[in-house]
Amino acid sequence: MEELILELKEHIIDALNLEEITPEDIDNDAPLFGDGLGLDSIDALELIVILDRYYGIKLANPAEGKAIFKSITTIAEYVVANRTK
Amino acid sequence: MGNTISITGLGIICAIGNDSGSVVDSLRSRRTGIGAMRYLQSRHVDLPVGEVKLSNDEMKEMLGIDTKLTISRTSLMGAIAIRQALESAGIESIEGKRVALISGTTVGGMDLSELQHAEMMHTNSYDYLLQGNECGRSTEEMAELLGLKGVECCTISTACSSALNSIILGSEMLKRNEVDIVIAGGSEALSRYHLNGFNTLMILDKAQCRPFDATRAGLNLGEGAAFVVLEKDKADGLAYVAGYANRCDAFHQTASSENGEGAYLAMSDALSMARIEPKDIAYINAHGTGTPNNDASESQAIIRIFGDSIPAVSSTKSFTGHTTSASGSIESVISILAMQHNFIPANLGWESSGENTIVPTMGCDDVVMDNVICNSFGFGGNDSSMVLSRYPVEHVVPEGEDYEFEVVADECVESVEELAALREYISPLESRRMGKLMKAAHLSTLRALKRAELNCPDAIVTATSRGMLDISMQFLEDISINQEELLKPTLFMQSTHNTISSAIAIRNKCYGYNTTYSQGEDSMLWAMRDAERLIATGKAATVLVIEFDESSPILAKAAEYLNVEPPKELYSRSIVLKRK
Repeated sequence: MEELILELKEHIIDALNLEEITPEDIDNDAPLFGDGLGLDSIDALELIVILDRYYGIKLANPAEGKAIFKSITTIAEYVVANRTK
Repeated sequence: MGNTISITGLGIICAIGNDSGSVVDSLRSRRTGIGAMRYLQSRHVDLPVGEVKLSNDEMKEMLGIDTKLTISRTSLMGAIAIRQALESAGIESIEGKRVALISGTTVGGMDLSELQHAEMMHTNSYDYLLQGNECGRSTEEMAELLGLKGVECCTISTACSSALNSIILGSEMLKRNEVDIVIAGGSEALSRYHLNGFNTLMILDKAQCRPFDATRAGLNLGEGAAFVVLEKDKADGLAYVAGYANRCDAFHQTASSENGEGAYLAMSDALSMARIEPKDIAYINAHGTGTPNNDASESQAIIRIFGDSIPAVSSTKSFTGHTTSASGSIESVISILAMQHNFIPANLGWESSGENTIVPTMGCDDVVMDNVICNSFGFGGNDSSMVLSRYPVEHVVPEGEDYEFEVVADECVESVEELAALREYISPLESRRMGKLMKAAHLSTLRALKRAELNCPDAIVTATSRGMLDISMQFLEDISINQEELLKPTLFMQSTHNTISSAIAIRNKCYGYNTTYSQGEDSMLWAMRDAERLIATGKAATVLVIEFDESSPILAKAAEYLNVEPPKELYSRSIVLKRK
C-alpha cells in the first residue's frame, strides 16, 4: 500500500504540474479538493486519466470521482479494489 | 427612422439543411441532423455528431472552386452561408460601399492543421499547420473565395459565443457609421481536435443530447455556418437587432456559475438596451448545450429574470448539435426564421423535468412573435445575449461629444526569464496549469492594473494572432501520440483564444464586456478600435487591452525550414485605457 501511495502521489504531482510540492508534503488523509490541496474540477478530470492510464480503471461519469478523490488514501483503496493492471 | 439595425439578409448551412428553406422544413418536421459520424475522421465513432451533409468536394463544387484546392471546411461552409446572405439581401455588388466581414471562429482551419500535423513528421511541410490557430485566415479566405474585394475582415474568437459577438460588433460599427454594410456571423467545422478536447472534459453524450431533461448527460458536437447582412435604417428588414449585451460569468474556465450570473447579466442588459420588459419576449433560443452544468445554470438565469412567466424556451442544439463558435449566428438565424415563419422550434429529446431546470417547449405552429432572445455562452464565461425583433427598434445613441481616453498603464513581458516575477502576484499552486503565454499575460496585466490602481476594469479586450499556440500544438501532439485516448484536459481547457481574457476576468471578478480579436497582424488594431469605441460611447470608463502571442518548437522549426525570421518566443503587452 505504501508503495502504491507514493506512486500515486508522483503521478498526481506530475499530471497536475504541482511545482514545488513533494510526495511528503501531501498528507495521505487530507482533502485534495477545496480547503486541502485546493484542486478543482479540471484536476479531477486529470485524476480520472491517471486511473485509466496506470490502473486500467474507467470512470464513465465524472461525478463518480467525488467520493473516490477525497484523499490519497481513498484513491489508493479504490485502486486496490478495482485495478485491472 | 434614426437608428435601427436591419437584418436584410441571412444564410445558413448546418446539420439540418444547406439553406434556410431546408432548415425551416427540418425544424417544423422535428427532424434532427444529429447522427453517426460520416465525414469527420476520428476513432470516437461512438459519439453522435451534427455534421453538414456535404463533403468538402461537394461544397467546392457548390462554390465553383477547383476540387484540388486545399481549403478548410470552416472557410467552405462560411463562404456558402455568406453567399446566401448576400443573395437574400439582394446585394449584387459591394463596389463603392464600406463593408465589414466579421466572423466568429475558434477552431478555424484546424481540420487542415490536424491532417498536416499527422503527416508532418514525414513531409516537413508546414503550409496549413497554423491554419487552426490563425483564425483570421479563415475569414480572409471566405472573402477571397467569394471575390469580396475591399472588405474589412475581422475575426472574433470568444469560443462558443464568437458568432453572436460578431453580430454585436457589426451593430456597434453601424451605429457609429463606421461602415455601410456588415456581414456578420461565424463558421466552425468539426475537427478531431475539439471533439477530443470536449471528450477530455467528459461532457459529450454518447446518445442523442437532451437539453434541459432530467437525464441529460452532455452535448453532441455539430458544425456549420450562418451569416446575416446588417444595414442601418433600412426598411423591410427580415428582422431587427433590438438589443444585446456581452458579459462575463467570471467563474471558471470550463464551467458556469450555479446562479448563472453571466447569463443573467447578458440577458437583462440586452433587454434594457431593447427597452422592453421580460413579458415582451415570446421565445428564448437557449444556449442549452445539454450538459448538466450549462442547463442548470442557464435555467437559474432565466428564472431570475422571468420569474413565474417564463416564455417558450428551446435549445435547437437538439437539431444541429452544438456548433460551438458558429452557434450564436446559427441560432440567431433560426430565431429570425422562426419569427418570419410564425413557429417555435421544439426542444427535441426532452422527457422529464429536472431539478432546478426550466421546462422547455415542445414547439408550436401559428404563433406570432414580436421579440425573441438568443443566448450564446462560451468557455471562460463569455456570455452574450441578443434581442431580435420583428419590427424596427430605435437604438439610443448618446448625444454630444465622444468621450476621450488616456493610457494610464502600459506593461510588456517579452521573455521566459521574466516569468519568475509572477510569483509576486500568483502562487505556484495557482499557476500550476498555466502555459508560458498565460503566465506572461498575467504578469503584464497584473503589473498594468497595479500601475493603474485598478482591480477590475469595466471591459477586457484581447488581441492575438495565433492564440495559445504552444498549448494547442501540444494537444495536437497528444492526439497523434496517444491515438485520441487518455488526453490531457488541462491542455484543451486553456487552448481557446479567449483563455486569457476570461482568466483575468475570473481572477479579478470582472463581469463586464469581454472579447478577443484574432485577425493576424490587425488583431491589435481591432482591439484598440473596440476599446476606443467602448470609451467613446460611455459603455466603459476603463478598458484593459492585452496583446499576446508566442512561438512554439514547431513554429520555430517551420521558420527555420522556410528560412524566415522566427517569431518572438513570447510577447504580452497590457494597456489600461481610462476615460478622460
